[in-house]
Amino acid sequence: MRTVLRRIAAMIPTLLGVIVLIFLITRVLPGDPARTLAGENAADSVVDKLREDMGLNKPLWQQFFDYCAGLFQGDLGFAWHTGRPVAEDFATRFPATVELALAALLIGILIGIPLGILGAMYRGRLADHVARVVALVGASMPLFWLGLLVISLFYGTLGWAPAPIGRIDDSMNPPTTITGLYVIDSILTGDMAALGSVLAHLFWPAMVLSVGAIAIISRMTRSAMLEVLGQDYIRTAQAKGMGPGKVIGGHALKNAAPSIVTIVGLELGQLLGGAVITETIFSWPGVGNYVVQSINATDYAPVQAMTLLAAVIYLVVNLLVDVSQGIFDPKVRNA
Amino acid sequence: MKKMYRAAAVVASFALALSIAGCAPNANSNSGSNGGDTGDSSAASQSLTLAYSEGGKTLNPAEANDGTSDTLVLAAYDQLVTYGTKEQDGKRVSDTATIVPMIASEWSVDDTNTVYTFTIREDITFHSGKTLTKTDVVRSFQHIADSSSASFLYGMAGISTVEEGEGNTVIITLTAPNHLFLQILPMYSFSMLDMDEVEKNGGAEWLSTNTAGSGPYIINSWDPATEAKLTRNEDYWGDEPQIDTINMKFIGDASNRLQLLKKDSVDVALEIAPKDLQGLDGTNGITVDSRPSNKILFFAMNNNVAPFDNEKVRQAITYAIPYDKLLTDVMKGEASPMRSSVASSTPGFTDAGNNATYDLDKAKQLLAEAGYADGFTFDFTLGSGFSDWNDDAVLIQAELAKIGVTMNIQNMARAQFLEALAGKNVQAYISRWTSFVNDPGYHLGLLMTDNGTSNYMNYHNAEVNELWAAAATEPDADKRSEMYGKMQEIINTESPWAYLYEYNIAVAHSDDIAGYTSYPDGLIRFFQLSITE
Repeated sequence: MRTVLRRIAAMIPTLLGVIVLIFLITRVLPGDPARTLAGENAADSVVDKLREDMGLNKPLWQQFFDYCAGLFQGDLGFAWHTGRPVAEDFATRFPATVELALAALLIGILIGIPLGILGAMYRGRLADHVARVVALVGASMPLFWLGLLVISLFYGTLGWAPAPIGRIDDSMNPPTTITGLYVIDSILTGDMAALGSVLAHLFWPAMVLSVGAIAIISRMTRSAMLEVLGQDYIRTAQAKGMGPGKVIGGHALKNAAPSIVTIVGLELGQLLGGAVITETIFSWPGVGNYVVQSINATDYAPVQAMTLLAAVIYLVVNLLVDVSQGIFDPKVRNA
Repeated sequence: MKKMYRAAAVVASFALALSIAGCAPNANSNSGSNGGDTGDSSAASQSLTLAYSEGGKTLNPAEANDGTSDTLVLAAYDQLVTYGTKEQDGKRVSDTATIVPMIASEWSVDDTNTVYTFTIREDITFHSGKTLTKTDVVRSFQHIADSSSASFLYGMAGISTVEEGEGNTVIITLTAPNHLFLQILPMYSFSMLDMDEVEKNGGAEWLSTNTAGSGPYIINSWDPATEAKLTRNEDYWGDEPQIDTINMKFIGDASNRLQLLKKDSVDVALEIAPKDLQGLDGTNGITVDSRPSNKILFFAMNNNVAPFDNEKVRQAITYAIPYDKLLTDVMKGEASPMRSSVASSTPGFTDAGNNATYDLDKAKQLLAEAGYADGFTFDFTLGSGFSDWNDDAVLIQAELAKIGVTMNIQNMARAQFLEALAGKNVQAYISRWTSFVNDPGYHLGLLMTDNGTSNYMNYHNAEVNELWAAAATEPDADKRSEMYGKMQEIINTESPWAYLYEYNIAVAHSDDIAGYTSYPDGLIRFFQLSITE
């Protein structure tokens, strides 16, 4: 418990560093937000007025002070390109990204881990080669191309996928908001009509997004398993006449679990960030899409907020991964 | 022991979630049937789904300046007066030179051409149910004058004071006679607002996500990330809009907008790339309505920076542009030649003085006369975001190489590009322009005079400045037109720009949609549309 608290305390300087850095980096970026917002047809008077509204005429230190003061009050700033507070925009968009990333991670785990185990068990045989090719293709596939291909084939030609707009059918009301994750909300409210539509909409972008995760998880699982499978206790277990299922599931997988959990945790952070392209292609109303638009509009506040959020998520996931190591390995528990 | 606690916590939190869920109503309670609101069942109702590329930034009429925001504003608000329409080549187009009544049923102007008296209709109610009065009109003008964006237009219209007159009239006094005044009033920025409603909700800030208009449609929901839903204003004072629900979908990817249209998931798709429009017309019940617009693209040369401070050099460049290739290879026919500094659809357009055709010999000769027989090297700044600009630049670069001129293309992100332009030091660049006010005075004033805020290439000609100032206060339309013609002739000769092309505005829609009318601003007015069966 004390370890966990110490770890949380150690996050504070990291976060402060992130805040200062990202503030400076966004300010150093070329491009005047007021000019971009006003567009090329705008007069200088318009741009000046906007700059004043946006607080860009203040000295840098004061802008930084205002920003920090806002942060402590939970104010993430104002998104000029949408005309709403960033926190409000995040509240509507973040659950969509989380849902997409979790779905992709789930697919990554369900396919990646068995694939990795197969590869390790049948090392150098056909199954291993197939798993390797799948991972190679998954790791090298450009997401935007795969996304367009999936839409063109499964929506355009075959008609299996729903129209790639949004998270639910147009004719359907979104499920009553409880968590903001449509799948969970529709299950909790018993809204089966919505659930079907939500899953249909979630499935395709999640599949596309998961290809990278499948590749990495399967490769890491394979190497972790291989390392474990070469250990003496596996040979002992086999020598005692234990069946291959029990050896793999009971001994090998349990000992390989810490490395697998680590990579899965890191992959979640990747997915949250990597959703950008998938979200754009599938018109998925998440933060990825939003942050891209913010960057194009040189809109500081959403970019800063997203970076901060990403840093927090990364730190929290890291912490959870480290803590979870204790569950598998008693040696780590009291370290 | 620890494990027990953990299990208990999990059970408790799950139970909590379930109990919350128990209270929450189910959004689609008639499971099985679709609980939607499109109302397909009633045959009389018509609904339309349109795919836009962007979701818009604000609903505040005085601050809007992107296509989606402007479209939403035009749906929800009325203006004092509006543009007429006419039939041209079998298609309905706007007639911006003719101003027709809207909220003002009639108006008159005094002998000095500076005092306008507008009579306000008395049968107009806002969406809130309140009757629109002359007080609302006066206060709406104040809102515009106070805004960041539209206050600029307010100044351009030359408005001095806006006051309530006798009876149901509003009197607008101008600082000087200004023919742009009536042309600016129909713009979305000059929407009339229910200022009581605005004040009740805390002021102008509220307007960025809410509306207080009297327009033909009511915006039920708007999320810039996904969609906007509009329904017909059943109490609309004017002609009843035909379509009762409008869904605007915001789809960033152009190829997806096309897919959705082909699969009949949307009825109208905007901003489709020229290459994708080829072969689309007539297939799958899709009509491509592609029309010339006054959106222009030009190659600007900085008159303050060598060697473009030499008129002959600039002229040489205009002879080295592969005009036909730009139209056919880059724009696939979705553009038309540009022959003057104003678009050809602008009243008073003339291509006098413009002799530029693709002629490399002539270009070489001009370069030799200018003392650059061996050519020169210059920096060209390419702003990101538009694929046609990129293709144009590469084609022009290749042609210039043939006359010994080396064009170094420097790519810049759009935000950076706009900032660089404002510095007025960019040697050469490509940029586009749309004059929402379809008038040469507006257009040339901003782009070609010394005071023009968008004269980023430092074009300076004293005679052009004088002509512009004189035309601005000239009440006689013919005399004015003559002055604008003379200005264009001078500019065409001195070539601060090489004219690239005039964009078409293409709207791809299913065959059964009628009533689409094109405007210089390129915006769709939903109330004009209908679905034919």
